[in-house]
Amino acid sequence: MSTLFNLSATEASRRINEGNLKAEEYVWSFIERIEKLEPKLHAFISFNKENALADASGIDKRIRSGEDVGSLAGIAMGIKDNISTDGIKTTCGSKMLENYVPPFNATVVERLKKQGAIIIGKLNMDEFGMGSSTEYSRYGATHNPWNTDYVPGGSSGGGGAAVSSCECSASLGSDTGGSIRCPASFCSVVGLKPTYGHVSRFGLVSYANSLEQIGPICRTVEDVVLIMNTIAGNDPKDCTSLSSPETPLQINPNAKVKSIALVRDLIEGSDPLVSKTVYDALDKFQDLGIKIDEISLKSVSFALPSYYTLATAEASSNLARYDNLRYGFSFPSEGYEWNSYISTVRSNFGDEVKRRILIGSYVLSAGYYGKYYLKARQLRSMLRQELLSILTKHELLLGPTMPILPFRIGEKVQDPLKMYLMDVDTVIANLGGIPAISIPAGYSNELPIGIQLMAGPFQEQKLIDAAFIFQNAKKLSTRTPL
Amino acid sequence: MVTKDELNYLRWISRLNLTDEELEKFSEQIDETIKYIDVLETFHSESSSVDLQELDLSDFREDEILEFNGDLIPYSNLTPERLVKGPKMV
Amino acid sequence: MTDIMIGLEIHCQLTSLKSKLFCGCRGNYRSSKPNSNICPVCCGFPGTLPLMNKKAIEQSAMISYSLECKIPDKLMFYRKNYFYPDLPKNFQITQYNVYGLTSIGSHGRIKLNDSKVIKIRRVQLEEDPGRILYAPGIAHNANYALIDYNRAGVSLVEIVTEPDFSSPKEVRFFLNKFSSILEHIGICDTALEGAVRCDVNVSLKGGSRVEIKNVNSFKEVEKALTFEISRQTSLLARNIKIKSETRHWDEQRKITKVARTKEEEQDYRYFPEPDIPLVHLGNEFSSHIGKLIPELPDQRRSRFTESYSLSDQVSNILINSKKLADFFESCVKIYASPVEIANWIVNDLLGLIGSEEPTLLNHIKIKPSHLAELARLVDEGKINRSTGKQILTKMVETGQTPSQLLSKSESSRIIDENLISEVVEQVFKTEGSAVNDALLNSNAINFLVGKVMQVTKGRADPKIVTQLINLKLTQSRG
Repeated sequence: MSTLFNLSATEASRRINEGNLKAEEYVWSFIERIEKLEPKLHAFISFNKENALADASGIDKRIRSGEDVGSLAGIAMGIKDNISTDGIKTTCGSKMLENYVPPFNATVVERLKKQGAIIIGKLNMDEFGMGSSTEYSRYGATHNPWNTDYVPGGSSGGGGAAVSSCECSASLGSDTGGSIRCPASFCSVVGLKPTYGHVSRFGLVSYANSLEQIGPICRTVEDVVLIMNTIAGNDPKDCTSLSSPETPLQINPNAKVKSIALVRDLIEGSDPLVSKTVYDALDKFQDLGIKIDEISLKSVSFALPSYYTLATAEASSNLARYDNLRYGFSFPSEGYEWNSYISTVRSNFGDEVKRRILIGSYVLSAGYYGKYYLKARQLRSMLRQELLSILTKHELLLGPTMPILPFRIGEKVQDPLKMYLMDVDTVIANLGGIPAISIPAGYSNELPIGIQLMAGPFQEQKLIDAAFIFQNAKKLSTRTPL
Repeated sequence: MVTKDELNYLRWISRLNLTDEELEKFSEQIDETIKYIDVLETFHSESSSVDLQELDLSDFREDEILEFNGDLIPYSNLTPERLVKGPKMV
Repeated sequence: MTDIMIGLEIHCQLTSLKSKLFCGCRGNYRSSKPNSNICPVCCGFPGTLPLMNKKAIEQSAMISYSLECKIPDKLMFYRKNYFYPDLPKNFQITQYNVYGLTSIGSHGRIKLNDSKVIKIRRVQLEEDPGRILYAPGIAHNANYALIDYNRAGVSLVEIVTEPDFSSPKEVRFFLNKFSSILEHIGICDTALEGAVRCDVNVSLKGGSRVEIKNVNSFKEVEKALTFEISRQTSLLARNIKIKSETRHWDEQRKITKVARTKEEEQDYRYFPEPDIPLVHLGNEFSSHIGKLIPELPDQRRSRFTESYSLSDQVSNILINSKKLADFFESCVKIYASPVEIANWIVNDLLGLIGSEEPTLLNHIKIKPSHLAELARLVDEGKINRSTGKQILTKMVETGQTPSQLLSKSESSRIIDENLISEVVEQVFKTEGSAVNDALLNSNAINFLVGKVMQVTKGRADPKIVTQLINLKLTQSRG
């Protein structure tokens, strides 16, 4: 069996572009891998086998005729199933969109394809992005490749599992409250949530529009750079997208990282094994000559309740469109009255989605708007001000990605609030609109633990610099489960 | 406290059918979450201002026609006159 | 009855825009087959985002400006959440002023006359929903509602007045004036089907407010109001309390009836639209809009009465329709006799083309140059006024110029003395005995005058004919 899947995306696309590796062969290695591992992992909802092979063979043809194919030539991408792919079913992990095939590509997908990337399949996720374990997928849970009795994290759990087990070269996930970084941490891969507005949201099925971003989940920091440089940048189809910095992201082996500040409030309340890993990471950074500080972020105390207020409010409105009239699943409306029909159709949402819609309607309803929604927005502004102020003095902030280790499948699914509390470390970056990255930092009983770095708006380069030197120092990226 | 009546009202304005069991179970879970969110009351923001992304009028879209070519709505949902079939309005 | 309170909520589409408010589909959907003027954005497909049409903001600001509204320097959009089949996203992107002034216009006014001002509460920009069609006559038996999304996403401006109106007549004046303003700005063709819609609120004696929806043209508003006021009056006379409710105007049966409840809850859960950033207009925006606005009806009326010395009454009639006022000014440009031309238009032309629908001016054949020529001919005495009126009728029917018609109908007065002399000469030769009679009896001159008129087919100027005959008779005696 081929082990080409072990190559980093950066290395593979280089070899394919040079003609030293056939895209078709490369993609085949993933197909074999998927067919072998999927029964255990269930990371994919849709498998694009035929088209992927056809596309790969097309890439090879074009390279043979001397055409410039692109920086991602032949790269087998897994795309989270809430990102629109023209002609490929996009379900968002929900039964509500069981039959939905988008008639257009998300901008990020267009940009990937333009650089020669191939879509190998659509990745499993918590329904509509709501969840931190992928157990809320209506197509069955995904299993953590490091221990298949455990969750891979969520909501981009399929991406975390597929990338870490080499079922695809790299993946795109989305992050509203931690949905890229959580699976990256639980599956020992690198996940970047970009600055809000850095990557176009056109084609991303909205859960909470003011909080979410599409970002890469990859095995290495170099691959994150490669993918980000392809997908990032202003998009006229998205009013909220902003312009990228002039220089694309780079790998700087000699980058000077001045200082890193530990956020005290994030580490308090973490599992001791997680805290230990974070302190070990701090030591490692110090060994590498970086100044270590410690700061307090007062806003942490109201970050999570603010997040859940704003996210559920936006979700309750974003999900109102699912009435099955223009797209959805098979359920004819003949004989039904309007309100009865849509209430019946919408009972096809899973429990967690229903809960968040109800909470969202509550916090927006007359009488409660000022108490919850408006308050949360004001507090969000306060949090952002505090973050920006701290980031003028400390260029990087450090904390755990998740306060706990990966847990067993089924362990938390009956207790929604417990599930929400796991997002305490990640929601800050979404509320503040700042970039954040999770990188593998260690294991406990073979269960991965990641650490999180945050930086100021459009300071992704600083994250990359620190993540790269840490990656080289820890050498965790060469390990592959299964 | 989110009462069952309030939950019924929320269920109606969100157009979600809930079985009695679900109503019972969700009532508890949602109540717990709202109690958690209630902590917002104890915080006071320094100003009532809210951060908003801003964009100049000139950066918005020009008034140009851009047609979408393609079939949007499944054939099975359309009448022969191309109208979308929806549930009747009483 | 001064205890009537009426408020209006007017919706007008920005019909001159090429595209919809948030996508590139056509703004004018009327010639499209059902569900063919649509795209993923206006149909609310997952993953789509609204792309604001900046010209729509400019045009809605023009309406605000003409209503003397305050225009903010930043604009915000909100979501109004409710479920309805014509609303693809089950929320409408609109504007909302409760948490601070964010809509395109607020606190405006329109002067109805010297003593009455109607205050404008707000002007806001929003998207039109699609349309639900009902098969005629079998709506409540049909198994389906039929939906057409062609109109979904078209730019709509909502104008809400304070309940300052005291009678249906005032409402009619207001709507005429408002239509005229819209016509002058040129951004809403009120004649297009569905381009303007009106909801009316009315209460009597400070009682409950009844809302009448579904008044689909400005013309129907006065009728709906008159009916509703009399309905409420007769209920009150029988000591029956008026219920605060929503009613529909049935255009066929000319009555208001209780509406089907659209949504039982009124809680729209408004919150700021996260996909549209705050629109920064800047503090130069208002004056920029002012420059885009052409002369408005009130200003034009003043100019007509001052510069052209027209009476108030005549000016009012002319500016009632922009096209009529334009026609008038085009005539005056060719022949500078404004009072005459205005009179021709107001007293005669309107009677021929119908004053109810000045939009017919589009299809009439008469041109400004034609009317100008007619006025000049009458002014210069070349034809008399009654002849002029006759010609005008023909001009309207056939589109021909006065000269063309005159040469054909031979109705222009001959005043050329030489020409008439020749004819007199001729008649004298052939009517020898009549001439002798006239020499003896001055009354017999009429016969000769009659003969000359006969030869010239009635066109000779009778005064000149008489003069020349007398001259010739005198010469003969002489």
